[in-house]
Amino acid sequence: MINIKNLHKSFGAHRLFKGIDLDVARGAVVALIGPSGSGKSTFLRCINGLEAFEEGVVLVDGIALHASGRSRLSGDDREAVRQVRLRVGMVFQQFNLFPHLTVLENITEAPVRVLGMDRAQAEEQALLFLRRISLEKKAHARPGTLSGGEQQRVAISRALAMRPRAMLFDEPTASLDPEMVGEVLSVIRDLVYQEGMTTLVSTHEMGFAREVADRVVVFADGEVIESGRPEGIFTEPKHERTRAFLSRVLNRNQ
Amino acid sequence: MIVFFVRLFCACALLLALQGMMPISDAAASSHLDAIRARGILLWGSDSEGGAPYVFPDPKDPSRLIGFELEIAEAVAQELGVRAQLVQTAWDSLIPALERGDYDMAMNGLEIIPEREKRVLFSRPYYVYTLQLMVRKDEERIRNIRDLQGRKVGTLAGAVAHDMLRKVGNVDIRSYSAAWPYEDLALGRLDAVFLDTPITVYYGGPDKRLKYAGPPEGEGFYGIALRKDDRELKKIIDTVLDRMLRTGELKRMYERWGLWDRAQLRLLDRATSDAGEQFRTESADAPLVSFLPMLLKGAGTTVLLSIVSMAMAISLGLLITFSRLYGPPGVQTVAAAYVEIYRGTPLLIQLFILYYGLPNIGIALSPIAAAIIGLGMNYAAYEAEVYRAGIEAVPRGQMEAALSLGMPRPLAVRRIVLPQAFQISLPAVTNDFIALFKDSSIVSVIAMVELTKTYGILAATTLRYFELGLIVAILYFGMSYPLSLLARRLEKKLKGR
Repeated sequence: MINIKNLHKSFGAHRLFKGIDLDVARGAVVALIGPSGSGKSTFLRCINGLEAFEEGVVLVDGIALHASGRSRLSGDDREAVRQVRLRVGMVFQQFNLFPHLTVLENITEAPVRVLGMDRAQAEEQALLFLRRISLEKKAHARPGTLSGGEQQRVAISRALAMRPRAMLFDEPTASLDPEMVGEVLSVIRDLVYQEGMTTLVSTHEMGFAREVADRVVVFADGEVIESGRPEGIFTEPKHERTRAFLSRVLNRNQ
Repeated sequence: MIVFFVRLFCACALLLALQGMMPISDAAASSHLDAIRARGILLWGSDSEGGAPYVFPDPKDPSRLIGFELEIAEAVAQELGVRAQLVQTAWDSLIPALERGDYDMAMNGLEIIPEREKRVLFSRPYYVYTLQLMVRKDEERIRNIRDLQGRKVGTLAGAVAHDMLRKVGNVDIRSYSAAWPYEDLALGRLDAVFLDTPITVYYGGPDKRLKYAGPPEGEGFYGIALRKDDRELKKIIDTVLDRMLRTGELKRMYERWGLWDRAQLRLLDRATSDAGEQFRTESADAPLVSFLPMLLKGAGTTVLLSIVSMAMAISLGLLITFSRLYGPPGVQTVAAAYVEIYRGTPLLIQLFILYYGLPNIGIALSPIAAAIIGLGMNYAAYEAEVYRAGIEAVPRGQMEAALSLGMPRPLAVRRIVLPQAFQISLPAVTNDFIALFKDSSIVSVIAMVELTKTYGILAATTLRYFELGLIVAILYFGMSYPLSLLARRLEKKLKGR
């Protein structure tokens, strides 16, 4: 479903990725863990074209995103990026709901404007999503009046309303107060278990990663230092830096 | 011998006593003369901008002023044993500035008319002026000022000529100050120009595209204006003028400037009033209400000008912003250059280039078109910056979220970024509109008569700067304040929605 080959990415003189490969099968759930600044977010943003990269290729459902570096994308490449974005939904750490639209409009905007969905149908679908996350009553509220956890649940619904084939979650609970983390994770969990959604999630919630992921990928300084089944990574990490990272995170959580 | 001393003593005592009984103003006047002598300079107010042949920069050496009035001022200064120095003042401010004490006397073709005589003291006349009508060479229908009904006529704000045109009725009067209207006449923006003969001789006469229409009209006198209490200075000026007249010095001078005619003989025995004066008296005694229609018409022009200019500034500003943020690199550079050039040069210069400069390459804009385009293009630069700031203030995550939902960039800009940028920019845009509203007064330099210019004309004619000024200020405030209220309500509505 998602295949990344030899990904190179620099920020100015700083070379972050020096050739990353990753294959994600349809329906697979991959958790990206590792210290802040290790490149997890950038990696996710390369997959849906929010970040350009200098070398390598990203294949999503057979559509190829090519390296471009700094130059402007050609028309074909721009269309490829858009096709990828139509297939891959993204949820951001900061939610990024549209503050000038109501909750309902946030969810219906793209289906109506991009997919050409009938407005009534789009609203019906949106209300269905809102019912599932118990925010039906907030349909006509502004995002600014919602709690962080509620906003993130709406943001997930907004992405799902486009009927993507895969989802990218970029630290979905990192900006939330601790008591709201659970409600957001349970929405993601439902999605993964009930719909079998192909999912990449970068997270610091180790328990969650361990529970839902088929595979855990450990990032450090722009490199994948280790990857494998969660029980392996969490119980017998091979790499010294994985061990150090896990002990730091797990101790903090206790 | 003793008797002589006693008499001298008595005479002195009497003199001193008389001096003590003199009105304070006269005492002040003689001390004013002393003050002039003490500083060694006679300050005189005049407008040298477009001032030939009165006083103007010598075309051969523009750093030097010449003119027949300058020669008179120098003769007066010589009599006082000092030198003359000109204080450059806009013509329609000459009398207020004299009253304020900016200089000792004002001389710049100031007609001696009863309304001015109420405020200032005039010397004896030094020139008999007439008014001359000028038209284009091919003009057949206009032979005198009564043929001007329904025509566009250029003249000087606050001058007797302006008043005479008003009395003709139904004349579309265009007021000018320093830049004389002859070029506009030649270009067809005006149908005729009616001004003092000396101005006509120097500015209109040499233009081959124009001709005089009919004989000179409306004779009257120019005098030197002094502060009401300045009788001592008047005495000296009158002596000088009298001597120049009798010795033929004045005649020789006017001949040198090409201004001598038989009418000047009347300087020797000043006749009473003439046609121009009657016009003047009537308008000065008019009640304030009678000015309201003109002021409201000016206010209407200001509103129209502001709204159309702002509409243009907003659309052009948006275009510039989009070019700058989303256009190809070449277009971005052009847009950035536009903003820098328009922000970096004075609006006044931009207007002059539009109105007086473009005709040189064959584009003659009407005053209203030049005013709207000038204001609109200038404010577009500021609007573009406001919108750019507004767009850049929308968090990057908004664009990213929209793009990641598969929206094409233009749709994301239109539906997600712009509505938020609009909300952020609204207070600044309102501010700009109010500023433009008041800045619109600057277009009076290109012969647009809006509210401020209407005020200038009425005040210069009637000398009622204070009352009319208050009315105009109230009119401006009455128009801009509701705008602020409206904008504030809109802001609130956008936030609360």
